[in-house]
Amino acid sequence: MKAQESMPTTKVERSAKFVKTGFQIGGNYIKHYSKKLFNPDLNRDELNEDNASDIYNSLSQLKGSALKIAQMLSMDKNIMPKAYITKFTQSQYNAPPLSGPLIVRTFTKSFGKPPEKIFDTFNINSTRAASIGQVHEATLNGKKLAVKVQYPGVGDSISSDLKLVKPFAFRILGMNEKELNIYIREVEERLLEETDYKLEVRRSIEISQACKNLKNTLFPTYYPELSSDKIISMDWMEGLHLKEFLKTDPSQELRNKIGQALWDFYHFQQHELRAVHADPHPGNFLITPDKKLAVIDFGCIKEIPDDFYNPFFKLTSPGFMNNKAATIDAFRKLELIRPDDSKQQVEFYFKAYKEMISLFALPDTSKVFDFRPPEFFENIFDWGEKITKMPEFKQPRGVKHFIYINRTNFGLYTILNELGATVKTDTYQPHV
Amino acid sequence: MAKAIKKSALNSDQIQEAYIDYVLTNNEPPKSVYNFAKSLKISENEFYNHFASFSGIEKAIWTSLTITAISKIKEQEIWAQYNSREKILSFFYSYVELLKTQRSFVVYSLKKYSKRLSTPDVLSAAREIFENFAEEVITEGLESGELAERKHLSKRYKDALWLQFAFIVKFWMEDDSVGFEKTDEAIEKGINLAFDLFQRSPIDHLFEYGKFLVQNGKLKEKMRI
Repeated sequence: MKAQESMPTTKVERSAKFVKTGFQIGGNYIKHYSKKLFNPDLNRDELNEDNASDIYNSLSQLKGSALKIAQMLSMDKNIMPKAYITKFTQSQYNAPPLSGPLIVRTFTKSFGKPPEKIFDTFNINSTRAASIGQVHEATLNGKKLAVKVQYPGVGDSISSDLKLVKPFAFRILGMNEKELNIYIREVEERLLEETDYKLEVRRSIEISQACKNLKNTLFPTYYPELSSDKIISMDWMEGLHLKEFLKTDPSQELRNKIGQALWDFYHFQQHELRAVHADPHPGNFLITPDKKLAVIDFGCIKEIPDDFYNPFFKLTSPGFMNNKAATIDAFRKLELIRPDDSKQQVEFYFKAYKEMISLFALPDTSKVFDFRPPEFFENIFDWGEKITKMPEFKQPRGVKHFIYINRTNFGLYTILNELGATVKTDTYQPHV
Repeated sequence: MAKAIKKSALNSDQIQEAYIDYVLTNNEPPKSVYNFAKSLKISENEFYNHFASFSGIEKAIWTSLTITAISKIKEQEIWAQYNSREKILSFFYSYVELLKTQRSFVVYSLKKYSKRLSTPDVLSAAREIFENFAEEVITEGLESGELAERKHLSKRYKDALWLQFAFIVKFWMEDDSVGFEKTDEAIEKGINLAFDLFQRSPIDHLFEYGKFLVQNGKLKEKMRI
């Protein structure tokens, strides 16, 4: 198509960026091996660190979906070596703002009039960046609103960005392209959903309605009539982000209260709604002045189908994995064990995944869990580092739903750890 | 086709309208002014009272689109708060919005020039208007210090913006994305880049540093060692 051809600059530029990263990583390997000639004790930490920082640097210069992918990878800490993580997590609050005239343009396109004709006041300078858009402050009829405006062209660039980021993802994760494609597609679907603001408003309303009786959890009111496919209007929530909240040195009791609200929010969704807010990064939450948890972003929702829910949550119910036959059966349903695996392989993966799930589901299987001690996380990291070195785990296993479910639960654990909370983990039980 | 219009005087807007209708229906200009005037039921003389030629009509349409865009953006409440970068951005966003109302005509009018690099004749008057506007905005930017004053070069800023104008209109003509979203991106990125270059940048510092070295460091001699 001609129109696409006429704008290769951005794509070429972007590819060039990634190609450059490729060279740099190549360079890092050379550096590593030449250093190793003189110092055989050198471990790969420094190399990982160098690679991560180069990948991060090139990602951070891209906007939109590449940024989102960086976030994605940073959330999936359980399979990422430690050094990558520290670099990738930096990408979470980072995107250049849209110009004022483009904001006006977006409003005119959606509503036929500029923002100042729609709201009583509208601050043209954005107060906060979201990864695929930015947030503006507005007032209407004495109410303070938060208005999220999406970057133009985000949807279109997602697919091409994913193609660009792919080789690097394979490199980082050390996996084979064909096998990973099914996961990449899952990510692509979720990312594309995130660009549909109409869908987001509908889901935000549904989920906040369904969750309205949860204790200590608040949701903004959404205004569909002031929203479009590029704009979302909702109540402005006053409050502190997690980092700012922690600076106020909250009491242990308060930490537990917020932590419990988070835990309940997620587990109510997983077990009662079978659809979960799958983007538990700290930017999506606020702690309000009356010390409640406010959930402010429903961009990414993962629906949990029964054929995943049933086998997966059986595994985490206490004592289930002592039954070897039933456990192997569940592993087969989740494709952690494949039909063509040999007897030894079945045995090997049974042991490995049993270990992983026992480790990962530790909070669920304990009645009360203290997220402060680092051992829990270190064990998971160690396990992750161990398996990245094992040839048996060179190819990914497991149905695609694992990506977002792992991301959600691990993201939640990470926030609870930062919060330093102890929570009751048996408030919502799986229905299996 | 020319509508049944009163026999008496047609104003230039009506002639424009009839012309647009004619070229879009027939995909070519009328055979002659005589023919066209006849179909409008006016005398050739009356036609020439308004326009010198068919391309004169096209020129006038472009001129009026450009003038309308400029006066529309200046009416916005927010206009006074914009810096020069935002003023130019605002112009292009309203311009492509306005062009949408005449998309078929725009495509018709420019398609015959697609191979040529220089300014199409039908845009020559619009160019003058745009450049006057751009110059006014740039002067403001230079005065406020938003843009860098560079010998010789700052006089050419408006030419750079004209190139953007030509690129954006062409891009928009070929844009098939929903709501011409790609054009919005092209505007945002292109104009921001232009203004980043107009601002004081590392290039200026590099230049000054080089000049300093040449003046003080006896660079030439040292380079030979």
